[in-house]
Amino acid sequence: MSNRIVIDPITRIEGHLRIEAEIKDGKVSEAYSAGTMVRMLEEILRGRDPRDAWAYVGRVCGVCTTVHSLASVRAVEDALGIVIPPNAETVRNIMFATQYMHDHVVHFYHLHALDWVDIVSALKADPKKTSEIAQSISNWPKSSPGYFSDLQKRLTKFVESGQLGIFANGYWGHPAYKLPAEVNLIGVAHYLEALEWQKEIVKVHTIFGGKNPHPNYLVGGMACAIGIDDASAINAERLAMVQKLLQDAKTFVEQVYIPDLVAIASFYKDWGAIGGGLGNYLVYGDLSPNGYRDVSGYKFPAGAILNKNINEVLDVDLRNDSEVQEFISHSWYEYAGGDDAGLHPWKGETKVKYTGPKPPYDFLNVEDKYSFLKTPRWKGNAMEVGPLARVLVGYARGREDFKEVVDSTLRTLDVPVTALFSTLGRTAARGLEAKLVAGWALEFYDQLISNIKNGDSRMANMEKFKPETWPKQCQGVGHTEAPRGGLAHWIVIEDQKIANYQLVVPSTWNASPRDKEGKSSAYESALKDTPIADEHKPMEILRTIHSFDPCLACAVH
Amino acid sequence: MATDSPGKRPTYYEELRAKGYSRRDFMKFCTMITAYMGLQQSGIAQVADALKTKSRIPVIWLHFQECTCCSESFIRTSHPITADILLDKISLDYTETLMAASGHQAEEAMQKTMKDHYGEYVLCVEGSVPTFGDGEYCCIGGKSAVQILQETAAGAKAIIAWGSCACNGCVQAAKPNPTHATPIHKLVKGKPIVKVPGCPPIGEVMAGTLVHIIAFGTLPALDGIGRPKAFYSKRIHDSCYRRPFYDAGMFVETFDDESAKKGYCLYKVGCKGPSTYNACGIMKWNNGVSYPIQSGHGCFGCTEENYWDNGPIYERIPNLAGFGIESTADKVGMVALGVTAAGIAAHAIATNIRKRDVVGNLIKEGKEAEKEL
Amino acid sequence: MNTLSHPHLLRRVFVWEFPVRLYHWINAACIVVLIATGFIISDPPAILSGKEAYQNYWFGTTRFIHFLASYIFLFNFIFRLYWGFVGNKYASWRNFIPSSREFWKDIVLVLKTDIFMTKREPENTVGHNRLAGFTYLLTFFAFALQCLTGFGLYAAMSDWWLPNMFDWVAPLVGGDFMLRQIHHWIMWFFILFTVVHVYLVFFHDYVEGRGELSSMAGGWKFVEEEVFDEADKKHEGK
Ligand code: HEM
Ligand code: HEM
Ligand code: NFV
Ligand code: SF4
Ligand code: SF4
Ligand code: F3S
Ligand SMILES: [Mg+2]
Repeated sequence: MSNRIVIDPITRIEGHLRIEAEIKDGKVSEAYSAGTMVRMLEEILRGRDPRDAWAYVGRVCGVCTTVHSLASVRAVEDALGIVIPPNAETVRNIMFATQYMHDHVVHFYHLHALDWVDIVSALKADPKKTSEIAQSISNWPKSSPGYFSDLQKRLTKFVESGQLGIFANGYWGHPAYKLPAEVNLIGVAHYLEALEWQKEIVKVHTIFGGKNPHPNYLVGGMACAIGIDDASAINAERLAMVQKLLQDAKTFVEQVYIPDLVAIASFYKDWGAIGGGLGNYLVYGDLSPNGYRDVSGYKFPAGAILNKNINEVLDVDLRNDSEVQEFISHSWYEYAGGDDAGLHPWKGETKVKYTGPKPPYDFLNVEDKYSFLKTPRWKGNAMEVGPLARVLVGYARGREDFKEVVDSTLRTLDVPVTALFSTLGRTAARGLEAKLVAGWALEFYDQLISNIKNGDSRMANMEKFKPETWPKQCQGVGHTEAPRGGLAHWIVIEDQKIANYQLVVPSTWNASPRDKEGKSSAYESALKDTPIADEHKPMEILRTIHSFDPCLACAVH
Repeated sequence: MATDSPGKRPTYYEELRAKGYSRRDFMKFCTMITAYMGLQQSGIAQVADALKTKSRIPVIWLHFQECTCCSESFIRTSHPITADILLDKISLDYTETLMAASGHQAEEAMQKTMKDHYGEYVLCVEGSVPTFGDGEYCCIGGKSAVQILQETAAGAKAIIAWGSCACNGCVQAAKPNPTHATPIHKLVKGKPIVKVPGCPPIGEVMAGTLVHIIAFGTLPALDGIGRPKAFYSKRIHDSCYRRPFYDAGMFVETFDDESAKKGYCLYKVGCKGPSTYNACGIMKWNNGVSYPIQSGHGCFGCTEENYWDNGPIYERIPNLAGFGIESTADKVGMVALGVTAAGIAAHAIATNIRKRDVVGNLIKEGKEAEKEL
Repeated sequence: MNTLSHPHLLRRVFVWEFPVRLYHWINAACIVVLIATGFIISDPPAILSGKEAYQNYWFGTTRFIHFLASYIFLFNFIFRLYWGFVGNKYASWRNFIPSSREFWKDIVLVLKTDIFMTKREPENTVGHNRLAGFTYLLTFFAFALQCLTGFGLYAAMSDWWLPNMFDWVAPLVGGDFMLRQIHHWIMWFFILFTVVHVYLVFFHDYVEGRGELSSMAGGWKFVEEEVFDEADKKHEGK
């Protein structure tokens, strides 16, 4: 007999995700992933000025802030044939790198860590031993016995106050927690330090985009002019600040994030065999030093892998209408061409039609439609996107930097390559790419400096900014590799207005409901066979779901 | 675990001291907070007193139709100990973004606070509420946002509407507002509501608003539409360091032109600073690093009602709905003027035809009178 | 139809008292200035100068002139409202408010005579004809609205109680942005009014021969003796 459990809300994610799972013999036999909030931004964009789109779609998500704006300006520039100046490319790359480091660190400590770290157990840790462990894994200076014992006292006091706040009702003491008390204490310490740190790194966005969350972008380049001889533009002081922030970020990633990741992972190696799921991976690619149009220079190379076959990487074409398609067989939408049609985003439709139960409800009708996410497919295949996909494609493409970090980590943890196809692999891949990006960020910084030094201070190409200069009809696509995976926006412009705008978002790929053939997407497929120790505290489900870093506001938009 | 009757909870001051902060640190913090709340120097003692005697207020933070960037902005707040808000100032008993518990356990945490602290907790709402149909466009734990809001608002001491979503519906309420995204004040009556608009609001503004409530046990002074005066009483334009260029008529004509490099006023590339109320020009973002205008992009009015429909972002005069594509008031006016001029010309010609005899008589009369002279 | 065997006897009537004339020209000047500066405020020209910001102030000056004219415009307008109660019968408020069936009938009559010209003979009035009177009523509403929106905007820039009395206007229309747009749209009413109004003054002067054009300067109009009594009745407020 199987039993249906519901986890709603899934917390420590962005947005409104509901998981329903059948538990049979202590394992998940079937899982259903549902997005339960919709805003219909694609409809709202219709008829608006394409130059403004970045601002609207930026508001799709404040966690992966900037990535939608970036995809949007690229889509519009693609449609209008605008080539942006090199400085603007580099600044966008630096902002991209900043977003990565921020998003991944916050995910690891604030959204994911509590699945592995038992803060209540940290109360029992020996500060001295904690300090020894901390110093053995990293050079990070905040690691004295006094530091940890102060923290522990503070924590004790907090717990004794009886007001556990955000830590109330966690699965503390769950048998699936395996860390020694001391490692738990390190985890808590870095939870708080990361909270402090994350507000620093985003200042790079503030400098170039005026604020964070939701920094400003501009079709044609960036709005932050370079005025080396002026106090009110990007000058030496601003650049020095960027450099300092990027350096500090790199230190944090290398001395805190990665050592913690490896330390924690070493206690959870069994999760290298759980939560793998689809085995199909998709990457659009991004981050070329020569600009977005230079696909061959992408530091995150594009490609698709099917059935875990890392010996073959397939090419991806976002313009080909038989590659990326969206389906709604199990989604609360309707298509003019019927429920089983698959639409390429340039011809995409967003007509919501809710057919689920009337709230309040206990269960969704998963046989029918059960989510506000559409279901994207690549050449008919369900694909996983995100850090793991990127690391695998980079690795499979034989990129040295990927090979180096992947192989050395596998060696340290003493696990086989196949351990990558798992919940643990996903979580590790996120850290590894954060480490790569931390290094690249400084390369981009140097590139910006040398370009300015060579006398190029252009930041925007305004030749085709005025709608009068646009063709009557055109269409474009813009993509990026958002922290959670490949992101692309498709736009159709008619009479200087948006005629159609469609986003296919990383979390849409991963969190979508089944397709017309009943094939699961990444979340549902990864949850299959997950062992569940206690149905009432399904922490294992959270681990795997969190390893994807869900963002449902993104996924539905 | 200890019970949490308010009397037993340690005060902020006790907590800070226990954490190793000195009395001096404490007073510095009070000074800073006082300044943020826009109070006189004399308010410092009051703040200090309040923080010494009050314990952690329970907070329930709801998420509806939003992008979570208000939560993100909140965690960016960066003054001495505000990053410790979570541990020391409030008891954030429910927030989907950060809380450890999920599913039933999360729901239980919320119910417990609603029961144990009825009439005492602060309800923070991030996001708008879709009222379409049965509320099916936003459901959490099987309940609609509409239902959850009504339940949680009932026992709240006060409500804070975070961000433009909760205050004015933000982007999802832009035309045609397909989900009927509705701001909080239109759904909850009879409760004090503080609106903290912005997309998102500045982190320190969010923290400052909470701290005021904690410290005084009262809501901050609000402006005509319910925003804390401390942060929303001035226009961006009146605190903008580019204002001298505005008055001097020195404008950026297009992005990245010479004037942009020199930091001239962004009025002509669409800056809505003259009609936007926020503290960006004064407090700036992310601990004073910059704000949109300082980084070369105009303000687009993210705290104001309907600002998504006030576009296009890069034009000063918005398009007029119902007058076709690219119609601004001026274009319509120009056409009307042309029509009027044509009408006048036609009328003048017609006058000389239709009133020929009337005018003729006047002339005749005049000529006769002349002869009589 | 009168074939005019002999010239008319014209009565010289003192229609526009000095305060009304003064009001009129101050008003006209303010409106011209407000439109000109308003246009500049809404879309300032690109003026390149090598000077530093502190050496320039032309945009500030433009706005200052707009605000200065606004105050004059407001007080002048208030004065005219006052004069509607104490001035002569041609200036009286009764000329503006369609209070009787007859008033409406006259409006239609003027439309027929002046605008559509289906009736040849001039419609006889001494002060405002009734269509004009009614139009000025609408104009006064526009004045009031423009003051409301203008001072509503100005409230945020001023500490004085007078503009601050208008600080409720912005929230009413959903914020300063909308308020500014409304203010901008109403400007077009003024432009159109002015053009039509000036034309009609010339038109009346031309087809009636009663000295309409100069009346706003000297105050005099010349009305045919035989129609005077009937025409003048319309200003008695009956
Ligand atoms: C015939 C009367 C008036 C006309 C035609 C007129 C026209 C205009 C126009 C076109 C603008 C620019 C709006 C935009 O940005 O698109 C403007 C701005 C403004 N007007 Fe007027 N206006 C008139 C009367 C007034 C009055 C009575 C006031 C009262 C104070 C006023 C105060 C303002 C203010 C405060 C602004 C905004 C200026 C700024 O923020 O720099 N206006 N006006
Ligand atoms: C910006 C330009 C002008 C504006 C805004 C304007 C406005 C007005 C207004 C509001 C009235 C009603 C006066 C009242 O309160 O009783 C009026 C009446 C009048 N105006 Fe003007 N005026 C303008 C230009 C002129 C000019 C150029 C002339 C003639 C040379 C003129 C001649 C008259 C006359 C004769 C009347 C009385 C008309 C009647 O009763 O039908 N106006 N004007
Ligand atoms: N899924 C997603 Fe995003 C990301 N990363 C966007 O494209 O989080 Ni809000
Ligand atoms: S107000 Fe803006 S920033 Fe805040 S949640 Fe809404 S969309 Fe995001
Ligand atoms: S940049 Fe914007 S806010 Fe600043 S002075 Fe110019 S118009 Fe005003
Ligand atoms: S857009 Fe918003 S962030 Fe500030 S400068 Fe304008 S209020
Ligand atoms: Mg979509």
